[in-house]
Amino acid sequence: MKREMVLNVNGEEHDVEIEPNRLLLEALREDVGLTGTKEGCSIGVCGACSVIVDGRLVSACLTLAAACEGKKIETIEGLARDGELHPLQRAFVQFGGFQCGICTPGQIMAAKALLDHNPNPTTDQVKEWMSANLCRCTGYYKILESVMAVVEGKVDEGRRDEAVRQARIQSLYQSDTYKSNASD
Amino acid sequence: MSTIGENASRVDGPAKVTGAAQYTGDLEFPGLVHVKALRSVHPHARLVSVDARAAEALPGVAAVLTRADLSPQNSHFGPVVKDQPIVAVDRVRYAGEVVAAVAAEEPDVAEEALDLIQVEYEPLEPVLDPIEAMSPGAPVLHESRVQSESRLDKGHYRYEDRGNVLTSYSVGRGDVDEGFVASDLVFEDTYTTPKIQHGHLEPHVVAASWDATGKLTVHSATQNPSSIRVQLAELFELPQSMVRVVVPYVGGGYGGKVHLRLEPLAAALARKARRPVQWKLTREEVFLTGHCHAAVVRIKTGVKRDGTILARQVEAVYDTGAYALTGPSTSRNGGEVSGGPYRIPHQRLTSYCVYTNTPPTGPYRGFGVPQVCWAYEAQMDDMARRLEMDPLEMRLRNLVHDGDVFVTGDTLEAVGLEDCLRAAAEAVEWRGGAEQAPRAAGPLVRGKGVAVMIKTTMTPSHSSAGLRLNADGSATLLSGSVDIGQGVQTTLAQMVSEVLGIPRERVSVTLPDTDVTPFDQSTSSSRTVFSMGNAAVAAARQVADQLLEIGAGELEADPADLELRDGHVQVAGVPERRLAFGDLFRARFGGAVGSLFGNAGFQSRGGVDPATGKGKASAFFFLSACAAEVEVDTETGKVRVVRLVTAVDAGKAINPRQCHLQNQGSMLMSLGSSLFEEMVFDNGQPINCTFLSYLPPSMQDHPETFTSLLVEHPHPDGPFGAKGMGEAALGPVEPAIGNAVANALGGSRLKDLPLRPERVVEVVRGGATDWGRSLQGLP
Repeated sequence: MKREMVLNVNGEEHDVEIEPNRLLLEALREDVGLTGTKEGCSIGVCGACSVIVDGRLVSACLTLAAACEGKKIETIEGLARDGELHPLQRAFVQFGGFQCGICTPGQIMAAKALLDHNPNPTTDQVKEWMSANLCRCTGYYKILESVMAVVEGKVDEGRRDEAVRQARIQSLYQSDTYKSNASD
Repeated sequence: MSTIGENASRVDGPAKVTGAAQYTGDLEFPGLVHVKALRSVHPHARLVSVDARAAEALPGVAAVLTRADLSPQNSHFGPVVKDQPIVAVDRVRYAGEVVAAVAAEEPDVAEEALDLIQVEYEPLEPVLDPIEAMSPGAPVLHESRVQSESRLDKGHYRYEDRGNVLTSYSVGRGDVDEGFVASDLVFEDTYTTPKIQHGHLEPHVVAASWDATGKLTVHSATQNPSSIRVQLAELFELPQSMVRVVVPYVGGGYGGKVHLRLEPLAAALARKARRPVQWKLTREEVFLTGHCHAAVVRIKTGVKRDGTILARQVEAVYDTGAYALTGPSTSRNGGEVSGGPYRIPHQRLTSYCVYTNTPPTGPYRGFGVPQVCWAYEAQMDDMARRLEMDPLEMRLRNLVHDGDVFVTGDTLEAVGLEDCLRAAAEAVEWRGGAEQAPRAAGPLVRGKGVAVMIKTTMTPSHSSAGLRLNADGSATLLSGSVDIGQGVQTTLAQMVSEVLGIPRERVSVTLPDTDVTPFDQSTSSSRTVFSMGNAAVAAARQVADQLLEIGAGELEADPADLELRDGHVQVAGVPERRLAFGDLFRARFGGAVGSLFGNAGFQSRGGVDPATGKGKASAFFFLSACAAEVEVDTETGKVRVVRLVTAVDAGKAINPRQCHLQNQGSMLMSLGSSLFEEMVFDNGQPINCTFLSYLPPSMQDHPETFTSLLVEHPHPDGPFGAKGMGEAALGPVEPAIGNAVANALGGSRLKDLPLRPERVVEVVRGGATDWGRSLQGLP
């Protein structure tokens, strides 16, 4: 029997009408329409569906949506604020902590759950915590590097160079596109 | 500012880290119905009856597909031979084969309907082992070999008309029997590798629909949209223009998403239901849909006392499962290089593609090569130990070099293998012959090992690309290469930007949509940078030539004196005399309108003669080396990889960071198959088809030292000298780890993968087994 309820996802309230056995994964993807949370193994092993519920990391494929009523659900879609990526997201891009990307939302949510509780984990603590998030593409090295970059405050190194590069490209195209520079 | 060799940030990064990147399973279609499949419980049985009437009557069921819906013309498909039915017709040939499928409003309704389908089987004797399958009295899986038209190498297979051997391949040089007679020592061993699974985190998924004009549209997590369009058109008797294949981002492939898998059934069911259908496999079903060929490799090698290899004979048997898929190609690929990257004057190399009543296989990263590399590199270390030589030195003595003629007849070019081997060995502080010294007693022993690999790429093959330069100086590359994680949009943008002299951010690279993107053979065989890269560069050069021509007129200069830089055409060395691309458009079209087009195809030439096994086997060769250090617990048998280093000759790394990611991914994948990954069967029933029972490596399996090295010996035919490299690091990892374990155990050799603890304990207890067994001429 379907029941109406409210799911608080990334600070927004969503009215959904769902069966009591509806999985949080299905509710997020199909009822709320947020498909960033992925299904990989369906038994809580691979971590692709990792989300944070009231501060705790859970597998959305093993969690009933109804059990999350009244709780704060955080998904990958809620990390960026006002167009600014979360430091973990910036790190995964800068340090190449992804390839196909299907596990990436889960990797980032798992790392966020860790750093929310312990902003200064050791490499071994990160390895242990993140071992519940499988990745078949990267070999994990650059995922670890990405997370540790956030821990060590290295994320925005190199951003200045990139900003200079972008400014140069902007100037090239704004000033010159339809204007001849040829000296007659 | 050259972008070749730059660690350019990936263009798909922001989409992938925010959850915005769309994969096939994320797409919505109005009126969609969901597919579930009924699968055989028998590994081999005659299909007596299939009755779906009760399922069809269940409310919410849109359609049920059974053999009754297939016509003889459109019932079977396959990339090399058309042996695979859309649903089982007269027989089932593996436990898990699809017998019927239901499309329903909700997935659980489809599941319920499956229970209502009545199937009567008459069990037949299965054959589960490839060696048994080759023997005369074995049950035969397929009586006919109907060839497919879909591959350029169609004529390059040697078909066998006997029993379960579908094809064979053999090549040779010299006189191997004389070579053995002339050898001081002859070694003969048999090595095996098991069935392993790709483990792409995104299960196979497809959506199919037919529109009112009779056009079929398929959205699929596939690695080769162009080829499956060709095959779908043939299967459903449509012009290729009436089949559209769209591929969004794909959540990993490693070969597991090459060729038709779910698409024929989804298309047939959508046609019958007159509704769009979506079919997402469960993880368990992924294991039934494709895996890596298990292999049995017999290898006999004759050496001189100084370590020179004189003769080698290999017989490699590849278990292709119940349907061929690319088995004929995989087994040939393995056979071609089964002698290894060594100068051996006398060789006879043979491989077989054999059917068994196990789930179908298909390509797996490495494409038949890791199986033989495991064999020849393990035996190399055993021979070195027997000869009291440093295994590194013995390899260096025999390695191939630039200009050598390979056993297939190819002249090798740009061979950076020695650099790879030396670099990898140095990275684990290889100490030469001292590495072979006996270990001190104790439960924990360490050992080091090295290995090298050579591999071909799919040849011949074809890629086409279209380039459109817009009036604002930005460019759109129409490419049908799939992003399976390797970052194809970024590397192709880097190459186009280099040719056109525009920032890479101004180059947009499409994902495949066969209505728009030209033909590309396949996103596999690590061929995209080489083949699509060459096509993209050629298309960009056509546009560049047009810009230079217009610029020459406007600047009153010779085109040969002009260059493209920063979105301008300028007189070389005279930056004051330049025109923005926008001005060139105004000169040509009278305003900010129009497009400049480039269209180019790249086709690698070659292939091998099935009669001799010779020809041009490969457009370029993959070359790589691995060095490993392990710690073996002799009491529990647990192997811990302490250091793992690979070195790959990339020709030229267009984007080094992406190359390292390819290597690192290959390395951990292969670490898993070295130590624990294996599909397990019980009387033909696969029994570990979940990530709980078949667990891929996690971050905790990471070695303390985990290093990817790139060597660059530019290839004359590659774009900017680049070769493919996506699979190169995988092959040598298993034998390097195996050699390190054998080294730790004083030469005791495990010949079967994976190196499970109980196998290690067994060989420890048994003492040194038959390593270095010599069949003749013992001094």
